[in-house]
Amino acid sequence: MTIEAIKEKFRVTVCSQINLRQEGIDRYRVFTPFVFDDGDNLAIILKFVDDTWILTDEGHTLMHLTYSIEARELERGTRQKVITSVLSRFGLEDNHGELTIRIVGDQFGDALWNFVQALINISDLTYLSRTRVYSTFIEDLHALIEETVPEGRRGFDWHDPEHDPDGKYIVDCRINGMQRPVYIFALPNDDRVRDATISILQFERWGQSFASVGIFENQEEVNRKALARFSDVCDRQFSNLPANRDRIAQIIRGVIGGASPGDSSPL
Amino acid sequence: MGLQLTDDEIDALLKEVKQVPRDFHKKIRLKEKRGHKEFEINIAGADQSRFRIIFRQSKFNPLDFSVILGYIIPNTNQVFRLRRYNGKSHEHTNKIEQEKFYGFHIHTATERYQIADWDEDGYAEQTDRYSEHHGALECMLKDCGFAGLSADKAFLTGW
Repeated sequence: MTIEAIKEKFRVTVCSQINLRQEGIDRYRVFTPFVFDDGDNLAIILKFVDDTWILTDEGHTLMHLTYSIEARELERGTRQKVITSVLSRFGLEDNHGELTIRIVGDQFGDALWNFVQALINISDLTYLSRTRVYSTFIEDLHALIEETVPEGRRGFDWHDPEHDPDGKYIVDCRINGMQRPVYIFALPNDDRVRDATISILQFERWGQSFASVGIFENQEEVNRKALARFSDVCDRQFSNLPANRDRIAQIIRGVIGGASPGDSSPL
Repeated sequence: MGLQLTDDEIDALLKEVKQVPRDFHKKIRLKEKRGHKEFEINIAGADQSRFRIIFRQSKFNPLDFSVILGYIIPNTNQVFRLRRYNGKSHEHTNKIEQEKFYGFHIHTATERYQIADWDEDGYAEQTDRYSEHHGALECMLKDCGFAGLSADKAFLTGW
């Protein structure tokens, strides 16, 4: 086969796998042969918006990544840097999770190749997903609370329905039925310690009356500044669960049994 | 993905009885993420396996959604996707069979795709059993060993 014939084979094979299908006014789905590792092809739409043609993934690429990576992991550290770098190199924009590229002049083909390369580069982030040995800390704490607190007096993953309907400020467990409810925060890492600090401050701003308890998976491993800030706002802390199980259970029983935070109770 | 499961193991996990919680609809808390909405609900199986129902939907295209039944691999943070009910937002290609289609489709975990080093749920079949995300969730609950489904389907759509 001549090199010209081979070239023609390449051209026919590649070109024949690019197709358009109209889905609405000035909106076309772009079919390409490029796939994620699960066989799903890239999601690409060609749209005419504000006098300009753009290609968009309609949020599909980042959403697809969250099948194996937590969404918040995409917004920090190495993954965020990779995404930012890829968008910059290939000229894409991130519109609140929707990735787009503007088509300049009649450079539709160039824009498509840049868009495809960027999406594939971003999808490769799945190879950075780490299998972590799963700690049983949260489950163990839940089990302890379930053993200690009657079902009607505990609520896991509680948030204030009035001030915080979207659940931005979560309490791992809220124990109710007392004058001042008890908010228990499970603290397996620095992020959770920072989140708990912010939540407690927010609850105070809303004028809530409560007693806060922080239970660390391992307090010795927590960032010192994060720990210091948390210590300033939290009423009672336990440095780890295994060594404090009995003490925590005793305190909780005391509180739900009627001891008020003003008594000699530990809260 | 460190874990490989045989077709028999996958089948057993799918058939393992999973009780639909009485307050299922209350557990559905849609969270707004960058570009999509999501919720996740953990379910314990009758044989103590741990499962997770995962939902994702694009904010820009309601037909771009996934309802996933995952098996939580013991002692890890990883989920093995047993089934995935996808919307109509992209083509799918079965790499081993070399077939391609565009439409609502259901991914299922297979031994052969894991051996070929594709994702565990790389195989999918086109379906006309649902046409939006509530229907996809209902299909998943029916197909995957869920018990205690109420005759009142309001809990499937009230979110």
